[in-house]
Amino acid sequence: MPAVLQWSDLLRLFAPLVTLATIDASRTEQATPAPQTLDGLLTPLLAGAYGLALRLLRNSADAQDLVQEAALAAARGFGTFQTGTNFKAWFFRILTNCYYSRHRRQRRQGTTADLDEVPDLYLYARAAEAGLHASPADPAQALLNRLDSAQIAGALQSLPQEYRVVSTLYLMEDLSYGEISDILRIPVGTVRSRLHRGRNILKKLLWQVAVEHGLVPDRDREQREHD
Amino acid sequence: MSTIDRYTCEEVIRRLSDYLDRELSAAEMEMAQEHLDTCAECASAHAFEARVLDELKRKLRRIDVPQSLIDKVDAILAGAQRKDR
Repeated sequence: MPAVLQWSDLLRLFAPLVTLATIDASRTEQATPAPQTLDGLLTPLLAGAYGLALRLLRNSADAQDLVQEAALAAARGFGTFQTGTNFKAWFFRILTNCYYSRHRRQRRQGTTADLDEVPDLYLYARAAEAGLHASPADPAQALLNRLDSAQIAGALQSLPQEYRVVSTLYLMEDLSYGEISDILRIPVGTVRSRLHRGRNILKKLLWQVAVEHGLVPDRDREQREHD
Repeated sequence: MSTIDRYTCEEVIRRLSDYLDRELSAAEMEMAQEHLDTCAECASAHAFEARVLDELKRKLRRIDVPQSLIDKVDAILAGAQRKDR
């Protein structure tokens, strides 16, 4: 006599298959990332892209043009972007390429020999000479409080271009040396050395701005006058 | 063959930028940290440099994105979406 299968038996028989199907579905969900749209990827980067462009260039109109040009290039080339890779690095590479193609002629512009050799802790030593370390307040804060954003941006923009681009990427975005290397397609060691020198030159330029505006004492002039 | 197990002041100052950016190896980070924990002069320089860096980033990043740019980029993205359909 054939056995009559109850509903509960069927459930028990097929339960492992149901479980397997559920596991497979969840695995598939994890393995296949959600489709990424250009809109969804680019919009959150817009503020950072504009900030970078504004600090690389002299004014808002040029910065807006640069970001639009990069957005247009990204829209045209989005098919070449590999899903799952670093979109930020991809888009910022486009942006810096657009910048380079516009401003190639400015390479090395503004470089002066004495800025090439700035010792480590230049600003720290100058602040100490000026007596800022004796201040009860934080000496770095005491110095930076005297400089406004426009003066700092001006100093950054007057860096030689090879240092300016690396330093601006570094200061405006929380990028690792590896990410900057990926964006600019230069070795990590080059990022490290340019950043090191760029930062030292920037600190010298900041001190010069502070002296020129009478924000800190000009010890060099005082020394010359004393001699 | 001996290996370096501690940094001098000069070695720490030379690596200060990389230390601030956490771009040293774990062993190097540890050696720099050990030095800074016991050397008041280097610790003072480190605190100054860290503060300068934070302040520079804070002041440089104080930027408002113009609405006109947001609108123009939105238009570019909308145009790209229409093309894809």
